[in-house]
Amino acid sequence: MSIEKDIVSRAIKGDGAAFAQLYEEHLKRIYRYVYLKVGNRTEAEDLTQEVFVKALEAITTYKWRSLPFNSWLFRIAHNLVVDHFRKQGKVEKIPLDDDMALPSKSNPALAAELALEIKDLTKDIEKLSSAQREVILLRFGAELSTAEVASLLAKSTGTVKALQHNAIVALRKMSSSDK
Amino acid sequence: MNQKLENILDKCLDRMFNGESIETCLNAYPEQASELGPLLKTSHVIIQKSSAIQPAPEFKARVYSRLRAMSYAKQEKTERSKRIPIWHRKWLLAVASVLVVLLVGVGTVAASTSALPGKPLYPIKLTGEHIQLTLAFSNIDKAKLHIQFSERRAIEIAEMANQGKDDTIFALTEQFVSHLQQIYEIDNVDELMWDGVKTPAATSALPEEAEIFDERGNKEELRVMLSNSREESLFALGNALAKAPESTKASLQQAIEIATREYDKALYNLEKHSD
Repeated sequence: MSIEKDIVSRAIKGDGAAFAQLYEEHLKRIYRYVYLKVGNRTEAEDLTQEVFVKALEAITTYKWRSLPFNSWLFRIAHNLVVDHFRKQGKVEKIPLDDDMALPSKSNPALAAELALEIKDLTKDIEKLSSAQREVILLRFGAELSTAEVASLLAKSTGTVKALQHNAIVALRKMSSSDK
Repeated sequence: MNQKLENILDKCLDRMFNGESIETCLNAYPEQASELGPLLKTSHVIIQKSSAIQPAPEFKARVYSRLRAMSYAKQEKTERSKRIPIWHRKWLLAVASVLVVLLVGVGTVAASTSALPGKPLYPIKLTGEHIQLTLAFSNIDKAKLHIQFSERRAIEIAEMANQGKDDTIFALTEQFVSHLQQIYEIDNVDELMWDGVKTPAATSALPEEAEIFDERGNKEELRVMLSNSREESLFALGNALAKAPESTKASLQQAIEIATREYDKALYNLEKHSD
């Protein structure tokens, strides 16, 4: 049994420390994925928190066979984001704030520059087709493997690789036309 | 050709996610270097920018604390339900109370009142409280016990915060709130003043007057008790906030806000029903 499988099965049995380990392991990637989707720190924090609360509530129903654990978490995150946009009655659009948590917050100038760059990136990602955008967010934001993305989106790995390639070509064109 | 490039790009991305440089990838695929190079540079920029998006440490700690509290409460609930079956709980508790005293000893039960969460005597303390509530003669006695136990939870929150045990604060706060809300529920069913054992005034020659007098007396007694408990609890929590380590301050602050709100709500409710 892999280490993560062992931790997950302990968490299913109600071991709080095991679930805390899973939280530590996945928080950053879930937050990044959600942030890139909603573009707002407060909403990203609320939704990320909700992902883990829902996961803890539903962990007893999780079965390893049907989906790897991180894909299960990202499915919860994806569904919550979709619900969030539905409730707000808006399409997936990124209202970017400037108050994002960045590692260089101690250096305000650098943080501001980085925030601006991330803003540009998310604006460009927004221009991609929805399938390309999802692949880019799952590969770069969530750092999932191509196989995991394929399983999550119910597509073949070949399709995911093609979407990824086309998206990067498109992003390259956008960034060169920005300059 | 394009399919080959898509595969190579995918392999290179995996290598870059693992910390390898663009050059290493290009050296591995010299024939595709001219096409691959620009795509890898764009990918590198995306990796750099997205990895700068990080959750704030305060947020991380807040969620961690909430999840630990949820797990703790979940575990406690499961263990409690395993220990005591739903059917005939009152009878079991009555028998259990005798058994607990016989097996554990009067001294241990008494000593458990000062036990803190995580200590071996703490479950005995909670079981003792549960038994006391089940065996309480009247609703007024129950309400008094809930006030007493809510204050115990507040003092435990203060202790846990001082010891830096952030993960138990949320669960204790939930228990604290539950005790105070149960006073409200008892009051709401309007049985508080009429059931159970009456004070001597209620058995006087004028039963109606006696009942009114008794009701007012009981409510006033509860109000004073609750008000004193509010003072004691908030004092203990406020003191703890001054001394507590940074790691528990946010949860403690939240517990103080909740405690203030819930005490005020319970007092308002008692006063409203006294009019």
